Amino acid sequence: MTEATDGEALLEVEGVVKRFGGVRAVDDAGFDVARASITALIGPNGAGKTTLFNVVTGFQRADRGSVRFAGEEVFRSPAYAIARRGMVRTFQITKALAAMPVLDNMMLAAPDQPGERIRNLFLRPAATRRREREVREQAGELLEVFGLEGVAGDHAGTLSGGQRKLLELARALMAEPKLLLLDEPMAGINPTLGKRLLEHMQRLRRERGTTFLFVEHDMEVVMNHSDRVIVMAEGRVIAEGEPLRVRQDPAVVDAYLGGAA
Amino acid sequence: MSLPSAFTLEAFTNLGFWSGVLVVAGIYAVVTLGLQLNVGYTGIINFGQAGFMAVGGYSMAILVLEAGFSFWLALPAAVLITMGFGVLIGLPSLRLRADYFAIVTLATAEVVRLVAQNARDLTGGNKGLYCDFEGGSPVCFDDSWRSVSDSILGFVENFWSDPEPLLPLLLVVWATVAIGIVVLSYVQGTPWGRVLRAIREDEDAARALGKNTLLYKLQSLAISALLGALAGFFLALFLATIHPDDYEPIVTFFAFGVLILGGLASYKGVAVGAVLLWTLLEGTRFVELPISEEKTAALRFAIVGAVLIGLMALRPQGMFGKREEMVLGD
Amino acid sequence: MEASTAQAESTPGELFREFARERPAAVAFGVIALIVLALVAARGLHDVAQASLNGLTLGVIYALGAVGLTLVYGILRLVNFAHGDFLTFGAYMAYLVNVTWGMPLAAGIFFAMATTALLGLFFERTMWRPMRAKGAGFLQLILMSIGLAFVIRSAIQWFWGSEIRTLDVDVTDSVTFLGLRIGQTELLVVLVGLAVLVATGLIVRFSLLGKRMRALSDDLDLAETAGIDTRRVILYTWLFAGALAGLAGVLSGALTNLRPELGFELLLPIFAAVILGGIGNPFGALTAGLVLGVVIELSTLVVEPRWKVTFGFVALIVALVIRPQGIFGRARAV
Repeated sequence: MTEATDGEALLEVEGVVKRFGGVRAVDDAGFDVARASITALIGPNGAGKTTLFNVVTGFQRADRGSVRFAGEEVFRSPAYAIARRGMVRTFQITKALAAMPVLDNMMLAAPDQPGERIRNLFLRPAATRRREREVREQAGELLEVFGLEGVAGDHAGTLSGGQRKLLELARALMAEPKLLLLDEPMAGINPTLGKRLLEHMQRLRRERGTTFLFVEHDMEVVMNHSDRVIVMAEGRVIAEGEPLRVRQDPAVVDAYLGGAA
Repeated sequence: MSLPSAFTLEAFTNLGFWSGVLVVAGIYAVVTLGLQLNVGYTGIINFGQAGFMAVGGYSMAILVLEAGFSFWLALPAAVLITMGFGVLIGLPSLRLRADYFAIVTLATAEVVRLVAQNARDLTGGNKGLYCDFEGGSPVCFDDSWRSVSDSILGFVENFWSDPEPLLPLLLVVWATVAIGIVVLSYVQGTPWGRVLRAIREDEDAARALGKNTLLYKLQSLAISALLGALAGFFLALFLATIHPDDYEPIVTFFAFGVLILGGLASYKGVAVGAVLLWTLLEGTRFVELPISEEKTAALRFAIVGAVLIGLMALRPQGMFGKREEMVLGD
Repeated sequence: MEASTAQAESTPGELFREFARERPAAVAFGVIALIVLALVAARGLHDVAQASLNGLTLGVIYALGAVGLTLVYGILRLVNFAHGDFLTFGAYMAYLVNVTWGMPLAAGIFFAMATTALLGLFFERTMWRPMRAKGAGFLQLILMSIGLAFVIRSAIQWFWGSEIRTLDVDVTDSVTFLGLRIGQTELLVVLVGLAVLVATGLIVRFSLLGKRMRALSDDLDLAETAGIDTRRVILYTWLFAGALAGLAGVLSGALTNLRPELGFELLLPIFAAVILGGIGNPFGALTAGLVLGVVIELSTLVVEPRWKVTFGFVALIVALVIRPQGIFGRARAV
């Protein structure tokens, strides 16, 4: 597996087509995401952002296209395989595993736990126990970073909406992703919390070189916190580039003012 | 108002009768442990347990009677066959949504039963399987078991002069239940068990975290196939026959009754639920109401139905389940 | 080095798969037509036509059961396991009128339809509506429907016992046309069944109630926000489904006999028709029911008759695995 160097594209999407009946929800879309960058994917409702997001992460099957992650083709790979390669996604409507404690939610995400394979329960019990200890510690630390250590033992279903968003992000980070895809991370949370999330993202990018791609509607967030913006409308990518330049692009202005809101 | 006159204490304390009830309760406990793993812990609504029992029981009998296997070899072979069968159905159908999967498993169990009923050369059709009378002396599939059982009874006679003949089977069945509860409860607390629970909660979240959910679901189904096969063996030994009528969908529905009564996500609840439900069902035999045999049978059905409805409406978590564990919504 | 798209331009295999996805009904009918042609070549036109006619009597019953069940699916959001016992109930209600009270079968049919409709209504008010209000989940509802099936069946068994009974119908006379033979009762079943199915189709397609039922079946919440009086439509849907189920039961009882398992035995093929037709789609259910009946009967030309039912179930399993959204359902994610 070739390791892409800094500045090179970690994710390369090309020519994705997805039809629903007669409608092309994604119509020959493509874009690149550079390593250690923070990229925003924006566009009016119905532009096909979520569909493309789902296709890239393996949650939806497209008709055609190419998705290369760290140099390897992953188009039509199953979602779990893509996640294991380091492309982890969150969901717009948080998927906190409600009847499980917060700590379990976190420990679940940790990679390389031999005890998750049934035969290792018998063949490698000591290694399993060891990894569980490690993972529990890491989970605890990460929960502290997000201010959730107090609710570690509570069922995730009892958390508030904002706490769930944090848990979703913390949990995704436990999976040690190379590329984190966030589906509307700012939706439904208060500005202070939002700011904290963004600070975490910046720090992670600085300290670990984690790459971020998020779908977002909040323009303030997009303009002030992303390196690069990709704009979609009617299933196609109509503009790509630095936030300020993209904002002034007439095609972009048109897409937002004309047609779908 | 006095008790119905034919409610005799003697009948009520008939050991032989209650041993039989406990054996059947134990058989249901075994099969429902598998159901608990599927429904309560993995979130897959498996309506095919009767089918697994049939595949297990018939495989064992056919291997002994027609392929000349020894009983002790036929048992593990039949278990493997049943597990393989489970994986075979699971592969294409586990990706379906919950009620479709339920229907596929129900239909598959019925196909198994119908094949048993109609493939007369292989399965004896409506005559069922017990002994093979061709050749010199008859060979019955439970011959080996009978000798073991007799040995155990012989040993017990040292302490108890007239031991209950069902005792060995009772011990084996309930030992299986106990081991099952211990092993499954342990496994639940492991990382593997954690993935299963995550799948039950939200399969997409588990996939997004790198878990190959189909594999885990297949494993869950295979384990419940194993338990179904064991239950099928025990039933065959208890009835001393293998017959398609014993594997009708009602068996699966009763197992769900046990599951719900004991409570979702509780393995020990399964054991309690099984004993309770069967005591309730069989207990009605003793209340000799002035009604016909037929009406009593109808009454038993009605009781199970009422229990299911009542529990779902009033206490869906059953006796030992927790409300928030209840697999709600889709 | 330019990155090529992972998928080459469409191969014939891919083109066909896409065609199958877009126009599944055409493919399905094509396949069936091929099978029928093969059968005609093997067994002759007369046998195939006779089997098809027999299959039609079965298909009519499946279709009647399936249309009601698929409409109710839209309300319950699950496949109702108690529906089979509605059929049984209808059959026994007709028995009450036709045999016990000695009135003509037509009266029995009306009585069966009316009482089964009311039965559906009764359970909606006492069970389903309160459970919906409580926000009951899928597993709860499905188990309740099974419990309900038990209760109805045991009640029937309590009152009428488990011995086999028959309706007062002519089972010997038959009619011959075009070289094909059909029993008088079978003819009645087909004519009545088809007439009701056509009427149902017209109502569902063209009437206001029908449109509302379909809207509800598609998306209950959306229908409510659109201002439809969902409570009322739900009640009418249950009446409708109950009546159709009752009729299906009577016709089945007339064709064969009455026994407490009557409905349950028909349940899985009816499920098959509902699913093949696309769940929630009454026209799909109607068509699938008829086709399924014919196909199952045609199978007797190839396998021994006792395998007929098994064949039906295998068809159900295969259909679910290949195309869970049914032949007529929309290609949405399942």
